[in-house]
Amino acid sequence: MVDILAALQMIFVPLNLLGLLFGVAVGIAFGCMPGLSVNMGLALLFPLAFSFQGIGGILMLLGIYCGAIYGGSISAILLKTPGTPASVATTLDGYPMATKLKQPGRALGLSTMASTFGGVFSTICLILLAPQLAKIALQFSKPEYFALAIFGLSIITSVSSGSVIKGIMGGLFGLFLATVGIDDMSGTIRFTLDTTYLLGGVSFIPILIGVFAFTQVLSSIEDYYHNERGEVNVVIDRVLPVWADIKRVFGTLLRSSAIGTFIGCIPGTGGDIASFVSYDQAKRWSKNGDKFGTGEPEGVCAPEAGNNAVSGGAFIPVLTLGIPGDGATAIMMGALMVQGLQPGPLLFLEKAPDVYAIFIGLLLANLVMGLMGFSLIKLFAKVVNVPMYILLPIITMMTFVGTFSYHNSLNDVYLMVVSGCIGYVLNKLGFSMSAIIIGIILGSMAEQNFVGSLIMSDGSFSIFYTRPICLFFLAAAVLSLFSPILGKLWKKN
Amino acid sequence: MQSMKLCNYLVSIGGILVGGLIMLAASEFPLAFTENGPGPGFWPFSLGMGIFLGAILLLGYSVLKRDSLERQLVALTLAANKRVYLMMGLMVLFCILINLLGFYIASAVVIPLVMQLMDYHDKKVMAMTTVGTLAFIYLVFGMLLNTQMPESIFLE
Repeated sequence: MVDILAALQMIFVPLNLLGLLFGVAVGIAFGCMPGLSVNMGLALLFPLAFSFQGIGGILMLLGIYCGAIYGGSISAILLKTPGTPASVATTLDGYPMATKLKQPGRALGLSTMASTFGGVFSTICLILLAPQLAKIALQFSKPEYFALAIFGLSIITSVSSGSVIKGIMGGLFGLFLATVGIDDMSGTIRFTLDTTYLLGGVSFIPILIGVFAFTQVLSSIEDYYHNERGEVNVVIDRVLPVWADIKRVFGTLLRSSAIGTFIGCIPGTGGDIASFVSYDQAKRWSKNGDKFGTGEPEGVCAPEAGNNAVSGGAFIPVLTLGIPGDGATAIMMGALMVQGLQPGPLLFLEKAPDVYAIFIGLLLANLVMGLMGFSLIKLFAKVVNVPMYILLPIITMMTFVGTFSYHNSLNDVYLMVVSGCIGYVLNKLGFSMSAIIIGIILGSMAEQNFVGSLIMSDGSFSIFYTRPICLFFLAAAVLSLFSPILGKLWKKN
Repeated sequence: MQSMKLCNYLVSIGGILVGGLIMLAASEFPLAFTENGPGPGFWPFSLGMGIFLGAILLLGYSVLKRDSLERQLVALTLAANKRVYLMMGLMVLFCILINLLGFYIASAVVIPLVMQLMDYHDKKVMAMTTVGTLAFIYLVFGMLLNTQMPESIFLE
């Protein structure tokens, strides 16, 4: 109780609340503009988060995270162009409801309600489940943490990239980048190319902004060449859902939120998978399954509840085990680490008020998102119309300013530009940027626990396969790496 | 359009080189096991070897699946890509201009150029976007967050 009160004291500071409101608004704006992504929004405002004292910056990022997932539905419904991949399934019934049935307000209202419900539901699951999982994880030692890091990396490389081999290569390269600088275990200076700039290691933030924000700018420039976006000219009337709709979709909301939370817990998955699985299940369970695709309320609510429920679920492995599930949670984890909060079970013991502040912050972010969605939807619908030729130069400048302001270093800016350019080419070649970033984030954890384990066992590798939990995670890692191949073989037979 | 087969061959060669270089660089550090665990070179050496083996595996896979990969196309040299490469060049120019002219003047030059690159030519909107963006950066980062943006080397 004392911890919860301390968390409330941390949150209910005017500047922190302002940060949360700002984050949600910016997140929704980023989400609703096709071409901008959740990761881009988080990466771009990452350096700004450190201008806030204490938890304020984290609250702002939580706001962006929740807002951007929801924001994707606005353009999905109004333009049939999902703002984020997580909202692709929303176009299936959202767009017909807005255009054929001429009920854009109803579609936006239902998606706002479903997003808020999914977000709140998953946050409650996070609050209930995370401390229990952290208690179990407290029994973990170095070999288990090493196995966890490998498991986290393996599942991401196998799921998020088009090619498993390229995913592994990207993840390994990320792990290598994390070795640059002074080795924590031996104090040896490694791979610094005799520059003082690299002594503290490869700066994570410029690479983050480069591969998630600048690469996205370059991709958007390419997309803009092919097709200019349409313009929204719809009259949005009532957005608050009517009681009959609420009653009709309540079961779908519960089911989809549970699906989204569960999928969110699995590293390497994410909102896009959750929304499609939720949509598919809603169609199977609905009495009007055959009418899906023509503007069914359940078809709008299911993907939105599912993709927003991922937010709480994804924080379970991040906070309890220190394993980020995707690029967005990797950025969030990086922000926590920079603020001195090392995710993992010890966080619940050593920094309990901060953990509760994150829980309450996520809950508030979802509620604020709902309130903003219902009250400012007409404004956000206009944001969809901001042309790319204005937006992209502004974002380009922000990538430079954001990177520079972190350490007042032009070297960081050069690193950001180089990372962004390489990221664009690697994306084209089928590499996963998330795998590289997660490799950088997990690199230190993996190496320290690998070396620590071998010290514990006097150099014997048997320590990794004689401890049941460690063996379980390593076996799961191997299985997840081969799952795409096994899946293909299974389909063939 | 390039085929994924060709791209994979190039990635494999790149991977073999990068992995090999990492192994070479890591081998300059102690690799052997002592009472303090494996030497500081062991972990990066293993990672380099992993990348190296991954690249060889990719090469083998690309040879085996060459027919299907030949049909898979990657857009790297289309007009849209060329626009992206121009943007990359513009950003390199921006990095140089920041040093020479300082951030604000360099931005005032580059923002309209980016808009031009995107085939937008309305000078009024270009000017408004430039002034608006720079005013926002000055107010938020310069005034509110006290970030001293890079100045021209001639003013230092």
